[in-house]
Amino acid sequence: MDVHRLVMLLGYKFSDKVQFVTEIEYEHVKEVYIEQAFLNYNLNDHVSIRGGLMLVPMGIVNEYHEPTTFNGVERPNVDKSIVPSTWREIGVGVTGRFNEVSLGYQAYVFNGFTSVNGEKVLGGSNGLRNGRQKGAESIINTPNLSAKFDYYGLPGLRLGLSGYLGRTQAADDIQDINGADVGVSMFGFDVRYINKRFSARGQYIHALITDANDYNTLYETNLGSELKGWYAEVAYNLLPLGKEQKLDAFMRYEMYDTHAATKDANITRNLSYNRNEWTTGLSYHVAPGAVVKADYQLIDNAVEGNKTKGQLNIGFGVWF
Amino acid sequence: MFLKSVFGFVFCILLVVFGLTDKLQKKVDKVIKSTFEIEVFSMDAKLFSKEITGDLPSKFSDNNFFEIKKEDILLGYAYVSKAPSKTDEFDYLILFDKDLVIMTSKILAYREDYGGEIGSSRWLKQFKGKTTSDELIYGDNIAAISGATISVKSMANAVNNVLKSIKILQQKNEL
Repeated sequence: MDVHRLVMLLGYKFSDKVQFVTEIEYEHVKEVYIEQAFLNYNLNDHVSIRGGLMLVPMGIVNEYHEPTTFNGVERPNVDKSIVPSTWREIGVGVTGRFNEVSLGYQAYVFNGFTSVNGEKVLGGSNGLRNGRQKGAESIINTPNLSAKFDYYGLPGLRLGLSGYLGRTQAADDIQDINGADVGVSMFGFDVRYINKRFSARGQYIHALITDANDYNTLYETNLGSELKGWYAEVAYNLLPLGKEQKLDAFMRYEMYDTHAATKDANITRNLSYNRNEWTTGLSYHVAPGAVVKADYQLIDNAVEGNKTKGQLNIGFGVWF
Repeated sequence: MFLKSVFGFVFCILLVVFGLTDKLQKKVDKVIKSTFEIEVFSMDAKLFSKEITGDLPSKFSDNNFFEIKKEDILLGYAYVSKAPSKTDEFDYLILFDKDLVIMTSKILAYREDYGGEIGSSRWLKQFKGKTTSDELIYGDNIAAISGATISVKSMANAVNNVLKSIKILQQKNEL
């Protein structure tokens, strides 16, 4: 049993143009994180300039991470092990939309992952996740670029294309050593569709890591040279439209591999990092903003003879 | 150029009278001009008594419902109001023809990240042709947008309530 997360959104509007947005998260009751804290300046209908601690736009869940917005008690694992949600860094950038063509865009310069995070290094099981600086005493020596386009011009359909390019950050005293940092390029494609009671979503994320071999040698770890994952999910609302409540029955297949390629990283591929999951369950939206969830997961990996593990999850989420 | 500055002056006067901010008024004017394909027009607030507006599902008491006329000929109506988004409010405009059929709608100002997709011209097209006899149902005859549920529902609800209010006003022979 766990109070996994409690998120608080606070904002202050200095004027119609200038706004300060923060999101504070309590995890497992005792850990406190700032998820977002940025100043936004609305230049005009199409452009906003912002700076501070912001979400990296990659895939669906990192930006839309409230429990009412996704099916399943836990976030998809692609959004945990490949996209290290909640992935946020300090930076500046522009965002906006062109409603005439139904296109939204975001482009930022961020500080990136850190090569070493205290005792933790990047590694095989969860890829880049340990490198998140979360805006806490962050270090930066090479800026990272991040951009996303969202197209929502076809009825019910929404498409996203994200890109992230850069290098991990190394502390000043070691940044010239071979293997002090790795290059990170990540690409994502996501799609969401909704038509009356039927809805579906899917996502594909592919990350290329360069110089992983030197990094692995220096830090005696096993970071892969490619991370890859995708999922596809369908859902059907069992209650009639027009009702305030919604009961989505859903099924999701997910595959993610943090050792999608290892040859260039000079390590042995660990097949247990090539994981797949079937998740099926119900999301009962009792009221807009309140959801009760239950699902059953079949968890497996590519190791020969590995036994499929079953797991039951029950949880609830609220947003207000 | 000269004509333009004259308009600017006229709109400034309108602003004082009707309480739309300058920026909103400019946007409203632009939509009216392109929708009715006219350059010169007048916009007069249509006023109703407090007893009537108090019972309506939408706000009609704030000088926010206008008759659009050209040389005293009624072309249509404009309704301007606010509706809630996730953490803020957005401004919207609904334009009607003289028979109170929706011609177009527009999000005039949206003030947060989430849900801004409702400004999509493509999505707003759905309201075109809707009349007081239509019942709008989110997700059914009004398409949903993933990631913008709250604002989509809010806009659908707002348009629904405006149509209902107009129906009541018609029944009371106010329109």
